[in-house]
Amino acid sequence: MQDIIEVEHFSKRYGDFKAVDDISFIVKEGEIFAFLGPNGAGKSTTINTLCTILDKTSGEMRINGHDVSAQKDKVRKDIGIVFQESTLDEKLTVEENLRLHCSFYQVPKSEAEERIRFALALVELTDWRKATVGGLSGGMKRRVEIARGLVHFPKVLFLDEPTTGLDPQTRAGVWAYIRKLQKEKNITVFLTTHYMDEAEICSHVAIIDRGKLIAFDTPENLEKQYTSTTLTIRSREPERMENYLREGALSYQADGGRFLVNIGKTSQALELLSLFRNSIIDFEVKKGSLNDVFLSVTGKEIRAS
Amino acid sequence: MNAVGAIVKRNLLNFVRDKGQLLGTILMPLFFLFIFSFLMKSAMSGFAQPMNYLIAGIIIMTVFQGSISNSTAILSDIASGFMREILVAPISRTQISVGHILSASVISVLQGLLLTLISLLIGLRLDPIHLAEMIGVMALAGVTFGSIGLFLATVSRNSASFQIISAIVVMPFTFLSGAYIPTTIMPKFLMPLVYLNPLTYLTSIFRFISLKMEHTPTAALVQEGVAYNIHGFLITPGLGLLITLLIGLVFLFLCVRQFDKADFSNVKVAARRH
Repeated sequence: MQDIIEVEHFSKRYGDFKAVDDISFIVKEGEIFAFLGPNGAGKSTTINTLCTILDKTSGEMRINGHDVSAQKDKVRKDIGIVFQESTLDEKLTVEENLRLHCSFYQVPKSEAEERIRFALALVELTDWRKATVGGLSGGMKRRVEIARGLVHFPKVLFLDEPTTGLDPQTRAGVWAYIRKLQKEKNITVFLTTHYMDEAEICSHVAIIDRGKLIAFDTPENLEKQYTSTTLTIRSREPERMENYLREGALSYQADGGRFLVNIGKTSQALELLSLFRNSIIDFEVKKGSLNDVFLSVTGKEIRAS
Repeated sequence: MNAVGAIVKRNLLNFVRDKGQLLGTILMPLFFLFIFSFLMKSAMSGFAQPMNYLIAGIIIMTVFQGSISNSTAILSDIASGFMREILVAPISRTQISVGHILSASVISVLQGLLLTLISLLIGLRLDPIHLAEMIGVMALAGVTFGSIGLFLATVSRNSASFQIISAIVVMPFTFLSGAYIPTTIMPKFLMPLVYLNPLTYLTSIFRFISLKMEHTPTAALVQEGVAYNIHGFLITPGLGLLITLLIGLVFLFLCVRQFDKADFSNVKVAARRH
């Protein structure tokens, strides 16, 4: 797979303040890439620079081989953007918003109709084509923006917190569109999110804090590296269990009849469970989540602003 | 130029959909016409066509004010967030500013034409050539003051400051142009300001055309406040047209340049409402 986004030693300074300090990462074509970080970490600065709105202080940034500062128009044609804030024209209808977008991106007139139909069908808004945007709900507006971001067939779709403020059902819907898109059109999706469960299904995750990139890997590797799996057991024979754990030199915490055991792999739990099969009252195996990774590397909980 | 056309079309659609604004642009000038025709009745008894004189002034003022205020479309675009959609599109800043100036002009010319239609019912008499010339002058006024309006909007970048700036510019310029109150009845000490006001010359060329004064002798033009004799230097309506054209070109250039280098990235955008 080709590298579609290349960021090398990117820095952005405002006076003496380093908003982003020497970060590097790559995104491969066709993957869903999550860019995470606490508020004020430098996420928006990075996205805005990639989207050609801001100019970088130093470093290299390329999208589909084009430099984001020197070849702005080429980059702009290759990307679609859904911002955190609504950027629709509320007085126009859904269709008019998409048509306007087509003329801005020089979509041939003969193709515009077909593409608009495709994009609206994807986000299930075909019946709302003639509706004025101002009258739509928040979730629908977000879907219109996703559709609009697609009609010029971008190579990369930037989604800045695409599901913030949406109800769980609409959120699931938006995700369904994103995955469908990635599968059918091989579009690369670059997103920021406050929901760790959403980042979990991404191919790669980058975490930025105080302007520095502090983690960049697949969700599985990050979880392996920064979190541990715990097995919680309640046993009728706590003494025997404690002896076993001590002899096996496993790290654990005892709390009455309850034991919290750190294990490397989930399969390790099987051994313990089968040994104490007859005396177990209850047990739970809990894998480390991306949320734990985030906590562990930033020292903060991710929170919706 | 496809993008410029798209911006013009979109701004026109927005204007037409705003019913309140549409009604206001028709009612305000009619209100002025009503008020000033009463107020000026005695003062204008010496004029050949007092009613048409006033109508012509009000039409061109509508175009002037319309083009300034229509260029604020960009401020509501900034406030609503739509500006970002335009800024990240593969179109140049020049295309954006030219699109906005053109749409402000087209809309203000339409406003002026609407008022002209109503004036035909009241008693203004025009033939096609005069009407075409009037449209030409209205378009020139639209581009000139649309550029000035967009220039001010780009510098101020938010509605509140633009309101203040435009109030400072629009009110004195309007009243010192002779459009509502003939310059011939103004106090002497105000005359230097009248001479410095570009709107004065715009008003005079527009009156010159719509009142069909092409055969009127220059002395009579000066008497009616359509030509100006500044200490022996004669400004005919034709020269006035040239002055307006010059100012228009200067501000078109300044506006496009200002817009090209303006930084809109740090403009506060309203938060998304759920």
